[in-house]
Amino acid sequence: MDRRKKDGIANFFIYASAGITVFLLVFIILFIVIKGLPGITIDFLTRNYEDKTTYVNIQLNKGEGGIGEDGYLPVLGAYITVNEQKGIALTKIDKDSPVKEAVDGLGEVYALKNKDTLTKIEDTAIDSYEKVKDSMTQEEYLKNIAEIFSEYAGQSVKIKVVRPGGGIVPMVVTTFYMIVLSLLIAAPVSILAAIYLNEYAVKGKLLNIIHFAIKNLAGIPSIIYGLFGSLFFVQILKMQYSLLSGAMTISIILLPTIITTTEETLKTIPNTYRESSLGLGATKLQTITKVILPSAVPGILVAVLLSVGRIVGESAALLLTAGTVAQIPKALFGNSASGATLTIKAYTLMKEENDLTTACAIGIILLIIIIGINISSKLITKKLLQKKGA
Amino acid sequence: MSLQKKCKFQVNDLNLFYGNFQALKNINMDIHENEITAFIGPSGCGKSTFLKTINRMNDLIDGVIIEGTIKMDGVDIYSDIDVIKLRKKVGMVFQQPNPFPMSIYDNVAYGPRVHGIKKKAQLDEIVEESLKRAAVWDEVKDRLKKNALSVSGGQQQRVCIARALAVEPDVILMDEPTSALDPISTMKIEDLALELKNKYTIIIVTHNMQQASRISDRTAFFLTGDMIEYGETEQIFNNPKEKKTEDYITGRFG
Repeated sequence: MDRRKKDGIANFFIYASAGITVFLLVFIILFIVIKGLPGITIDFLTRNYEDKTTYVNIQLNKGEGGIGEDGYLPVLGAYITVNEQKGIALTKIDKDSPVKEAVDGLGEVYALKNKDTLTKIEDTAIDSYEKVKDSMTQEEYLKNIAEIFSEYAGQSVKIKVVRPGGGIVPMVVTTFYMIVLSLLIAAPVSILAAIYLNEYAVKGKLLNIIHFAIKNLAGIPSIIYGLFGSLFFVQILKMQYSLLSGAMTISIILLPTIITTTEETLKTIPNTYRESSLGLGATKLQTITKVILPSAVPGILVAVLLSVGRIVGESAALLLTAGTVAQIPKALFGNSASGATLTIKAYTLMKEENDLTTACAIGIILLIIIIGINISSKLITKKLLQKKGA
Repeated sequence: MSLQKKCKFQVNDLNLFYGNFQALKNINMDIHENEITAFIGPSGCGKSTFLKTINRMNDLIDGVIIEGTIKMDGVDIYSDIDVIKLRKKVGMVFQQPNPFPMSIYDNVAYGPRVHGIKKKAQLDEIVEESLKRAAVWDEVKDRLKKNALSVSGGQQQRVCIARALAVEPDVILMDEPTSALDPISTMKIEDLALELKNKYTIIIVTHNMQQASRISDRTAFFLTGDMIEYGETEQIFNNPKEKKTEDYITGRFG
């Protein structure tokens, strides 16, 4: 075969591989965006995941009962409409509507919002239209409801309100908690460990063994750490499925990565910095805190930011330690401290509810977070390097 | 005349080993106060290693064994003085200009700060005085807050000298301080060294024999860990006693 042909074949494989990679990347991103985009709505971004039921007291307006043609209910100061599953839903609320001053059982203001569904007034349940649609039209149904409300005109009534869920707020908050807590644990420990390994440890067999161990720790699949975490943190330490169990487990996963990256950064700092600092009579600790660490900041920050990506993307370990409940954790550990991150929720949505749209919508949010992290890590490095004048 | 000057360092039977390799063999010499002493010799002859034993920089290297004594003003620097205090007394300037990646001001103020000086006014004074002594004040006084890496190599080296002077040492060790600089910067550093010797004891390692003959009062010639000859510079360069010294300074090897 002549050289030309060989070159041609080699070139073909090079271009084909590059093409396949780019195609896959674009395809996956497009797939997620197209499938998920319909799921991204204001409600999705601002609501709780679960429906929330509350009893509230509302001081109804006096006077006119009845209902306007467009569904306006004067005693409520709001427009109502038929809800598919149960009761009636608020669609548009007047500025001075009494539902904005609704008070919950604890005496705190619980202002009703659009799409809140009213299912019970005092002891009268509001049947859904579905149940009665054979015997009356929608207008008649709404008129009936209006009559019930008219009876209580001017009085304070107890109403059962269901605020629909379907949003990702709890998962976003849990993810944020998880990032902060994991980094608070992992970053100081691994940075100090890296300083020990690079600045203090005596070079030799033991150090080589430690390095070997750290490299291998970085390669263990996270499900193994998850199993360890669920046994040790969740069960033995009795933290249960909780924020802290998850964060501890993730911290262990992050240790090798942050240690290695920080150590690499420390290695790039010229030895002459150490020598001249010590030569000026600085102690080792002064040298590290005043010269070495400031020079290492960009590298350490990048390590930390990449860890954020790792936390956001972690699934297996958290599944076994932080649980799958779609709620904002109310404590660090214990009964009510469980919470699902965005990634976990995407997984359970597909597995348990086969809800591809919502899972992909979460995927879009994750994509945005990851891209944001990468951009900010670039910017930080650039800015800090400029400042250093290098 | 220079013979009457006080003896600053007394080195007795100094041996230094890197593991099994002996880098310095039985060195004995006196180094005099307010003089420039030059160490010359080919690469690997031990002159830099010897320089670094004087402020105990070799302590940083694993597996170094040092035998014999070095006394500074009669005090054994390896047993009777804290290494931090020693390094405060014995400053060092390195081969490559190596300012820290911070402002010129912070570079010079680094030493005083690690020794506990915090007052701004006092630091300002030290920084100005040190930069003036290092003959670089006029060139950098308007950009003290600028990064030290942004000035020229020769200026960086003088900022490094100012940084060393700021902790008020008695002795300045210079490890080939001009080998990375152009001739004009080199000249400035040499003039500076001549100026500084009135106040400090200077020991300079150099590859450049002309430099040694231009600025030093005494010269020591090293070869493969031995100190072959040590004497007044004029004598070493004009009338060497040893054949090896003559061969080296006349350029027959090295």
